Amino acid sequence: MSHETNPLLIPLHVSYIQNLGKNKNDLIYHLTAHLRMNAIYWGLTALCTMNHREALDRDEMIDYVMSCWDEETGGFGAHPDHDAHILSTLSAIQILVTQDAIGRLDIDRVVKFILSLQQPSGVFAGDSFGEIDTRFSYIAVNALSLLGRLGDLDVEKTVSYIAQCRNFDGGFGSRIGAESHAGQVFVCCAALTILDRLDEIDTPTLSWWLAERQLPNGGLNGRPEKLEDVCYSFWVLASLSMLKKVHYIDSDKLISFILSAQDPEGGGIADRPGDMPDVFHTHFGIAGLSLLGYPGLVDIDPVYCMPAALIETLGLRKGWQSLERRMR
Amino acid sequence: MHGVRRARQTQEALEAKRLKDQSKLRDYLALSDDVLARKKQKDWSREALRATTQLLQVNPEFYTIWNYRRHILVNGIFPESTPEQIQDLLKDDLSLTMAALKIHPKVYWIWTHRGWCLNNVPSGPGVDGEGDPRGWEKELWNQELFVVEKLLDADPRNFHAWSYRRVVLASLPVSKPETSELAYTTRKIESNFSNFSAWHQRSKVLSSLWSTGRLDQTKSKEEEFDLVQNAMYTDPRDQSVWIYHRWLIGSDREIAVIQSLLEEETHSKWCMESLVHYKRLLLHNHAALVDKSALTRDCIHLLEQLRKVDPGRRARYDEIEITRL
Repeated sequence: MSHETNPLLIPLHVSYIQNLGKNKNDLIYHLTAHLRMNAIYWGLTALCTMNHREALDRDEMIDYVMSCWDEETGGFGAHPDHDAHILSTLSAIQILVTQDAIGRLDIDRVVKFILSLQQPSGVFAGDSFGEIDTRFSYIAVNALSLLGRLGDLDVEKTVSYIAQCRNFDGGFGSRIGAESHAGQVFVCCAALTILDRLDEIDTPTLSWWLAERQLPNGGLNGRPEKLEDVCYSFWVLASLSMLKKVHYIDSDKLISFILSAQDPEGGGIADRPGDMPDVFHTHFGIAGLSLLGYPGLVDIDPVYCMPAALIETLGLRKGWQSLERRMR
Repeated sequence: MHGVRRARQTQEALEAKRLKDQSKLRDYLALSDDVLARKKQKDWSREALRATTQLLQVNPEFYTIWNYRRHILVNGIFPESTPEQIQDLLKDDLSLTMAALKIHPKVYWIWTHRGWCLNNVPSGPGVDGEGDPRGWEKELWNQELFVVEKLLDADPRNFHAWSYRRVVLASLPVSKPETSELAYTTRKIESNFSNFSAWHQRSKVLSSLWSTGRLDQTKSKEEEFDLVQNAMYTDPRDQSVWIYHRWLIGSDREIAVIQSLLEEETHSKWCMESLVHYKRLLLHNHAALVDKSALTRDCIHLLEQLRKVDPGRRARYDEIEITRL
């Protein structure tokens, strides 16, 4: 297999992730504080997928998460003293669940915070300032599901809003009327999967639209006529997994594309070959490789974007299909 | 981060950059610490507002500071201000966000703050019987339409701008007719057939005009097919047009239209893929009216050609042949 000439450089990516937290003298580290909680979730999940979760200290991580708890609102911010937001709240919950530390959480308060963000239309806001987006609907469904509190959700209202976001191409947008985008397609498919409402998806049309995201260079884009980007290796593939159409993509070409976006010197994966790596693309590139059956990786659950074995233990596994894990 | 090239830098160059960044970092941390300390103390003063302006100009992705800025305005400054003064303050924030959007046109937090400003415009300048109490709202919302058009000229695929455009259209105190939005999408499409965002918007506007009976669906579809066929001949490799065409056909069972497409002579993958789709529609929906074995043979032949020109997606073409002919 040609991937032996350009393999996934696991030890290099592990040390890349370990070094991320050591850059406290870099301006960029501080300019991205608003993403810190997300970044830790991306780093942790990438390590789990590479079977190196021990590379980051568990106790330090849990302490960091809890230091971002916003006592006034009952949610998590991205960084200590940053306001609570649904984005960082999900990452915090995912980290705690992955680290088997959910006992540190005041579940009732977090559930209350999340439910308070549902709008009359059924969509969720990100915080009290009211920005709405189907991403936030997925976050609410994912988080409540992980916390065992899906029963508290008005499912009909939630599903009804997502259904109204369905477009002429079978895809979904960020809100009613918005253009289909692979990231939004992912969140809508995943929310509908968790809620057992895949009947709301026009599978033949959407799986066709998703298949056409693959470009001649093997990479995937997020919308027609846009550039390829490694992160779509996850958004598009995970969606196809939920629709049981992963075979619609040329997996060899996509694997080659992801591998060619690695930084062979410092480690990490970038959005496309030759660009600077970051933890976001490192995580989603590795997640995509896992769904494609790349050898030596651990199974990832495409619905939750967390270790598949963990999601299965929690009784939350749905009927998705990824490619068979290849032997070396 | 997106689209930032990896640069091979020497150790010396990296060290020089790090030293230069050290003073930037010190300044940034000092500013950030100051603003967050004020926030903790619920400092709603004008000085605090100025501090947030400075910080947001350096880092417009610092969402907590946009939140704090709104708290300062609502809790501290607005209560002490006349409606005219509030209007001026909001205009300042519109300038602030406009400058930020020119550099960062895809940052959610900036768009959200701009929308918040528009939603907080006070009544004025007129009051009961004396002038228009929605005058300021009208002025600012109309301006927003102009602003979002400029941003869509700069990047016709910016989905933040398109979403904001839909919000603006829905919020105009005096609504524009949907036919004028249809004309806007025509302009965008005619300037670039590959503008999927414009085709998407068109699909929404037309659906609304048809379902409310404001546009005759049959006549309108004829015009749509003309527009689409023109685009197909101009560039058969552009996928936007084929996806849009499938939606037009899908909601209409007019055999004649499908038959005329079958006489297409282009050999683009999109044409082949669409022919398979439409022949299958004929097989399934109009079985009594067609030569089934000829159509099935055509599909098999087309799928064979598709496997050659588009080998990456062969698994889907295999599946269509096995399960759905």
